[in-house]
Amino acid sequence: MHALLPFFQWADGTAVGQAIRNSRVLFPIIESVHLLALTVLLGTILVVDMRLLGAGLRKQSLPFVARSLASLTLWSLLTMLATGFLLFSSEAMKSYDSPPFRFKMVALGLALLFHWTVLRGTVKAETPGRVRSVATALVSLTLWFGVAVAGRAIGFY
Amino acid sequence: MTGMIALSLADLCQWLQDTSWGTGIRESVWVFPLIEGTHVMALALSVGTLLVVDLRLAGFLMRRTRVSEVSNQLMPWSLAGFVIMFLTGGLLFWSQAVKAYGSIFFRIKLVLLLLAGINALVFELTLRRTVPEWDTAEKPPFRARLAGVLGMVLWAGVIAAGRTMAYTF
Repeated sequence: MHALLPFFQWADGTAVGQAIRNSRVLFPIIESVHLLALTVLLGTILVVDMRLLGAGLRKQSLPFVARSLASLTLWSLLTMLATGFLLFSSEAMKSYDSPPFRFKMVALGLALLFHWTVLRGTVKAETPGRVRSVATALVSLTLWFGVAVAGRAIGFY
Repeated sequence: MTGMIALSLADLCQWLQDTSWGTGIRESVWVFPLIEGTHVMALALSVGTLLVVDLRLAGFLMRRTRVSEVSNQLMPWSLAGFVIMFLTGGLLFWSQAVKAYGSIFFRIKLVLLLLAGINALVFELTLRRTVPEWDTAEKPPFRARLAGVLGMVLWAGVIAAGRTMAYTF
């Protein structure tokens, strides 16, 4: 973690981070947007994972469900990353010492990697096979909800 | 008269959070975060699945899929999510009723929840029986699209007000 310390110090000192830290309303506003984007991100991922588990939009093909929701997932993810960085910059040095924050970043990295490699491959198939579908959905749900739970825990820690 | 009612509501909130359950949740190290975590996670199930239905209704998503097919397959999950939301939300309110009662954002949240409920009820009572006429329409009639957009806007407001409740200004 030592190698990343300068990055945390830089983020903590950015003008935008200081502006958010010094404002009473900016943090809650940005966090509300972060949470709205979370609803869209987790919601669309959940609908695809449910389809992999054989629930929800069962009458539609797996590739169709995944394709229909892909751009919503991407845009909500970009919104989360942007608002997430803003929130982080306002308390970067606090985040540096926070175990939930470290856990969240690791889980986020794994979730992104898994989503755009394994899951992306699985949802391209009309019928990927029961074991592959269920395993993909369970790993996806565990990683993304892990990111969300760890994110909430940052505030409690 | 309204002053008396307001007073008794505040008293009720005080009594509620002083009950052993209310105190227990508030003072526990793990129970409150667990309930709140569940409340936030269930957002994806309740509002997340509803969002897909509302987007189809508004004509933004899955336009070549029947409205009824999207709705019938996802609404049971959405409703299950809302049951979790109301149960966990009720427990959270129980543990901090006085703070919630005094919070303008909690009041805004309740009003928006009521409006979202009315929006859904109006849809069920008036538009539901006309669905077969426009089930396959890529762009449903104006009133249906309006119901979809209103639903999304109102739920976004509920979420934002709910999150802001946690702050004191």
